[in-house]
Amino acid sequence: MSLRVCSIDDLTPGEGLRIDAVSPPIAVFLTEDGEVYCLDDTCSHQDASLASGWVEDCRVECPLHESTFHLATGQVDQPPAKRSVRAHQAQVLDGEVYVELSTAEPVLPPGVRVP
Amino acid sequence: MIIDHLDDPLPGSSLRPTPTGAAYTDREVFAREQADIFEKMWNCVLRADAISSPGEWKKVTVGREELIVVRTRKAGVKAYYNVCRHRGMRVCTGDEGKAKKLQCGYHAWTYALEGELVAAPNLTAMPDVDREEYGLKPVHVRQWLGYVWVCLAGGDSTAEPPDFDTEVLGEVRTRFGQVESIDNYGIENLKLGQTKTYDVAANWKLIIENFMECYHCATIHPELTEVIPEFADGLASQRKNGEVHGSSFGEDIQGFTVDGSAGVAALPAIAPNQDRKYYAITVKPQVFINTVPDHVIIHRMFPVSEQRTIVVCDWLFLPEVIEGVAEGRYDISKSVELFHRVNLQDFEACELTQPSMSSTAYARGGALVPSEHHIEEFHTWWQSTLALLESAEMHQVRVG
Repeated sequence: MSLRVCSIDDLTPGEGLRIDAVSPPIAVFLTEDGEVYCLDDTCSHQDASLASGWVEDCRVECPLHESTFHLATGQVDQPPAKRSVRAHQAQVLDGEVYVELSTAEPVLPPGVRVP
Repeated sequence: MIIDHLDDPLPGSSLRPTPTGAAYTDREVFAREQADIFEKMWNCVLRADAISSPGEWKKVTVGREELIVVRTRKAGVKAYYNVCRHRGMRVCTGDEGKAKKLQCGYHAWTYALEGELVAAPNLTAMPDVDREEYGLKPVHVRQWLGYVWVCLAGGDSTAEPPDFDTEVLGEVRTRFGQVESIDNYGIENLKLGQTKTYDVAANWKLIIENFMECYHCATIHPELTEVIPEFADGLASQRKNGEVHGSSFGEDIQGFTVDGSAGVAALPAIAPNQDRKYYAITVKPQVFINTVPDHVIIHRMFPVSEQRTIVVCDWLFLPEVIEGVAEGRYDISKSVELFHRVNLQDFEACELTQPSMSSTAYARGGALVPSEHHIEEFHTWWQSTLALLESAEMHQVRVG
């Protein structure tokens, strides 16, 4: 079932927003083209918030290292992260952002656990 | 012109004293200058178009501090101390670069271009860490004349920076005067035609004093004095009370070039009385602005020690001239060569002066002739800024 996570007005084009009301936290991205995407917020390599990463060409670069993740699929492109992160289906209805959370197992870095 | 100082006898002695030699050699004096002048005042550090796209950064040194100047994505140009807030390692290494973030290479504390701490290993497990409070420590930034100016004062919130509009803009505009406004040159829209960096083995005050007077011009600047014959009278463009005088080109001189040949396209908005004239001002503590009808020359000084100063000199022209140079329609080499020679001649004189500053023969300082008396205004400012008059232990560097 879809979860309302934020309003479109909460988002800034070219940036991500960390939502820690869900566990593990997710990151909602609004691209410069106006598309909304959602990934797990935590990089699979080390504990860092992808919402703080650099968004460009439908990918987000982890703020700590050089790995980037595709916003639609969560697929990683290069080390040091080796595992993709989960992508969640996101859609905008009447200015509100709804997310269908993935049922796959989260892919978290060493030392980070879902409480 | 030439009789200005002859028909107006000066009261008292023709010669006035300079600071003593120790003012130019004492490490403690230099340390105070760094703390009380360069780290308190506005410094012109680099051309804004030197960091033209987001993420481009350059390192600069102001006083004793190393700074990162970066063009951000959202907040224009910002400048920070190059000090990681975690354990203090230099965040940026090398002299320049382009990056999506500013990341310390030690523990990967990572800062947005806008300065806030955005990531660090396990930072999400430390939600009490304030991202702004532990962001890179900023310094004040202004842009003017196409340059980035920074001020380190007030960074600790106990002191406000000096007001840029009063301290820099006001002073420059007042000295140029309403009619001969510096705004006429449109400096902020000019492009860099040439830049040269000079590593000068001399105290920064010797360089300022040299720039303020023209008593030396006829002796060491043959090319400049050909172009501006009135410099042979010893009077500079800079005069007493901070006034600026337009120094006229010679009658047969076509342009401000090394051989007096024609320059390039003139700046379109200069006033009639700015044509065929050279103006120069000092913006304390480290900028010289020179204007002629077709280009502008800006010097930035970066004192390194009591006996070493880096001087960066930029030659600025209209954008169409710079494009024309690339296409072979314009040649700026003779324009650049004139002041490049002036620079070399001046800095050689300063370098041959510096060693004497510690000589017994100069212990009590030297003398200023009438056409140099306005340099006393710089010395008075320098003394009062460092509060030397009230300071007994600085007795040895008092004027006279």
